Amino acid sequence: MTRHFKDVWFVLSAATLALFALFLLYPLLNVLSASLSAGTGGQSGWATLVNDPRYSSAVTNTLLLGAIVTVTSTLIGVPLAFVAARFSFHGKALIALLPMTTLIVPEVIAAQTWLMILGNNGFVTRAFADWGIRLPSFYGWFGLITVMTFVYYTYVYIGTLAAIKGFDSQLEEASQSLGVPPGRTLLKVMVPVVAPSILASALLVFTLVVGNFAVATILGQRVYLLSVLTYQSFVSEVGTNPVMQSTLASVSIGIVACALFAQRWIVSRGRYEIVQGRGAKPQPLAGLATLPIALGAALIMIVSLLPLVTIVAGAFTRARGPVMRWGEWTTANLERVFLSAPDPIVNTLIFAGIATVLSLLISTVVGFLVVKKRNALTPSIDYLSALPLALSGTVLGIGLMISFNGGFLPLAGTGAIIVVAYLIRRLPFGIRNASSTLYNIPNSIEDASISLGVPPLRTFFKVVFPLMLPSIAAAAVLVWTTTVAELSASVVVYSAGQETMPIQIFRLIDSNLMAQASAYGLVLVGVILIPILIATTVFKIDLFAAK
Amino acid sequence: MAGIRIDNLVVGYGAEPVISDLSLDIADGSLFTLLGPSGCGKTTLLRTIAGFIPVRAGKLFFGDRDVTDLPAYRRDIGMVFQDYALFPDKSVYDNVAYGLRARNVPEATIKTTVGEYLERVGLSAFAQRMPAALSGGQRQRVALARALAIKPTVLLMDEPLSNLDAKLRVQVRETIADLQRQVGITTVLVTHDQEEALALSDRIGLLRLGKLEQVGGPEDLYARPVSAYVADFVGAANTLNVELSAPTTAGALAHVALEGANLQAFAPAALPAGKAVLIARGETLKLGPAANDANSIPCTVRRRQYLGGRTSFRVATASGREILVEAHGAVPGLAAGDAAALRFDPAQTLVVAS
Ligand SMILES: Nc1ncnc2c1ncn2[C@@H]1O[C@H](COP(=O)(O)OP(=O)(O)OP(=O)(O)O)[C@@H](O)[C@H]1O
Ligand SMILES: [Mg+2]
Repeated sequence: MTRHFKDVWFVLSAATLALFALFLLYPLLNVLSASLSAGTGGQSGWATLVNDPRYSSAVTNTLLLGAIVTVTSTLIGVPLAFVAARFSFHGKALIALLPMTTLIVPEVIAAQTWLMILGNNGFVTRAFADWGIRLPSFYGWFGLITVMTFVYYTYVYIGTLAAIKGFDSQLEEASQSLGVPPGRTLLKVMVPVVAPSILASALLVFTLVVGNFAVATILGQRVYLLSVLTYQSFVSEVGTNPVMQSTLASVSIGIVACALFAQRWIVSRGRYEIVQGRGAKPQPLAGLATLPIALGAALIMIVSLLPLVTIVAGAFTRARGPVMRWGEWTTANLERVFLSAPDPIVNTLIFAGIATVLSLLISTVVGFLVVKKRNALTPSIDYLSALPLALSGTVLGIGLMISFNGGFLPLAGTGAIIVVAYLIRRLPFGIRNASSTLYNIPNSIEDASISLGVPPLRTFFKVVFPLMLPSIAAAAVLVWTTTVAELSASVVVYSAGQETMPIQIFRLIDSNLMAQASAYGLVLVGVILIPILIATTVFKIDLFAAK
Repeated sequence: MAGIRIDNLVVGYGAEPVISDLSLDIADGSLFTLLGPSGCGKTTLLRTIAGFIPVRAGKLFFGDRDVTDLPAYRRDIGMVFQDYALFPDKSVYDNVAYGLRARNVPEATIKTTVGEYLERVGLSAFAQRMPAALSGGQRQRVALARALAIKPTVLLMDEPLSNLDAKLRVQVRETIADLQRQVGITTVLVTHDQEEALALSDRIGLLRLGKLEQVGGPEDLYARPVSAYVADFVGAANTLNVELSAPTTAGALAHVALEGANLQAFAPAALPAGKAVLIARGETLKLGPAANDANSIPCTVRRRQYLGGRTSFRVATASGREILVEAHGAVPGLAAGDAAALRFDPAQTLVVAS
């Protein structure tokens, strides 16, 4: 049909699609197909899954944990969002920082710090022990649920807050003018409009719990979980079990894919025409409710910030082997990290740096293609670019390892495979953020530039790109911060000497060397926090504009 | 500068073409208006001329130059958009300079050219403003200056006035008309506002379902519509189904039967006997006291409205058909309920095929 327009965009689309096919589709197909071949003892992976209680309990445990954490996260996130949207009180500004804590505190550090507080050697556990009270073991369900809830409730909080703020408060006034009291108005008018957003973010939490590696491995212990068993069947010392690892990976892909489909369905069904921008003004808190609401919010705040405090304290606390000597301060841990073992820091910066730059390039192009230059290929690109959401890091890592271990593209063992893992894993995130402003740029602007004699590609760089810059900058910060914290895929694909900070922290936690882990943790938090601070304070970038 | 020639153009998005086999000549230096209802293909045709939509068949010429296969950025067009399409991150000056910079014009020349065109649209004082700090009318004038500053071969405008309120619309309309005449650039304007089309155009093309229903000067379309559709779209007209007793030749006075009376009307084109449509504008009809005038039918006044400069009547024929009549000034006598005679002017009443 486009007989006379040589289309640059079509060529770019084809290149993008080829990239996705190689590093996303091909590994995924390898994982799925390996699960169908016969494993040890001639049993197929699926038969083992059903017959071996270890594996079948992992499936039920994972689903159960996902369900519980989804509920607990919602129970914290929704009321907090409502309070933040509708009331004003002293110290409320702090609540605005909550979404940041998820970014600033990587999961592995959250798990670690909670162990330092409530683990067998945790300072709270020991303090209670000194009083003669034995706390229940933090390993297992107790720890898993607590830590994951406080890691993930912010997702529900952010989703709900955006929905409540976007809700047209005139509808409430309309309802009240029709004689429905405020409380019932909320239930009948606001809840139906906001519910899809809450449900969608809750389902997101579910998928994150199912895919979670760091917390599950560190705290799971005797509770078998899919992600942990998948990882163990990959690194197992008694010989890896390729069939089982693929089978388990396939199960987790299936679970997450179902949840994501349900999420998309809810989002598409729940999209009402909402007149934006007339959210209710926050009311000052008054009366009886003041104390419980403020206290509740404060408690959530404190617990959320606890990991940050602990990591700082831990990094400066003297330790003898696994024993933390709380109260004895030292800079030895940090000296060691910077002077004798800086490799993980250097590795992290290099791998994440390359991955972030590539990710921004691809995200910008893909975002532009999908939003502005639809052609026969762009629907596939759109679909594939969301696919990494359905793959946990562990699964992606395993897929890359089976696909590029020797063969036509032997990446395993090189740093490149870590970069690829980072890149693919954070791609949906990068694309969504980089393209968020594109929807507000009218097509006529491009036409205007072209009509004035500027060819399409140059028009993109002269007219569209400058307008995309704020969202690309936000995407840069977000992709960087989430990439330096990446553990679950990189821990599968890395080789000796390529340890990144999260991997090193993970190994140190395994050896119970919390002070060292804290020191790396502190550096990692710094590497995350500094770009965020510069972006938000110096460049005034709204990091969460895309939400 | 050059005229535009369109030969047997076919354009479409899906299976069905939106523009089918359209041919059109637009004279060098003239202002041509594409008029038509929503969805008839005006934007499609304009964007095809601009080069944003590929053609399926047919040819497109700017003067002698065949531009059918030329991409938009090499067609040397000036374009003005409905939503202004100003670059929001560039100042008024940089917006107008944009096309000149793309042509590697020296910065000194750019300065004088931009100054000249901002002067022409009356916005010299606003050169350093950002688009967001301008009113709608000012934005559209910047867009006009930007399109003209590159001295394009043709100027294309898609409903440039429709985002402006009524008063501004007339103002910017004047700016466009003046500038177009001064610069003498071949211009295609898209609108669905018939008054705008009549006021601005040298020639008008009325588009209906991707085909040109009539092309002609404003008076042609108003006074000599080729169909009831044209008459109805360009100004209000009474259209009445009539019987033609005998075939007529083009340009002759035909005899038609209406409400039992035998009327004379002008036939612009040859017509067979049988069903036809009578077109009569309200202001060409005369209302008088009931009498057996020639070329008239009896009627009853249903409603009378005094509108200042004119008086509007709604009358009903014997069979109940309603007709609007407009008379100059105040008309004494004739109130609602009165019987009257409605006289048709043979020269200004048209009969066309139904
Ligand atoms: N991108 C597109 N893809 C498919 N069909 C289209 C597209 N753009 C327009 N059409 C169809 O082509 C026909 C003509 O559309 P066009 O935009 O040219 O109308 P228009 O005369 O400019 O109308 P309006 O006065 O409402 O702007 C319509 O039926 C429309 O639905
Ligand atoms: Mg249009």
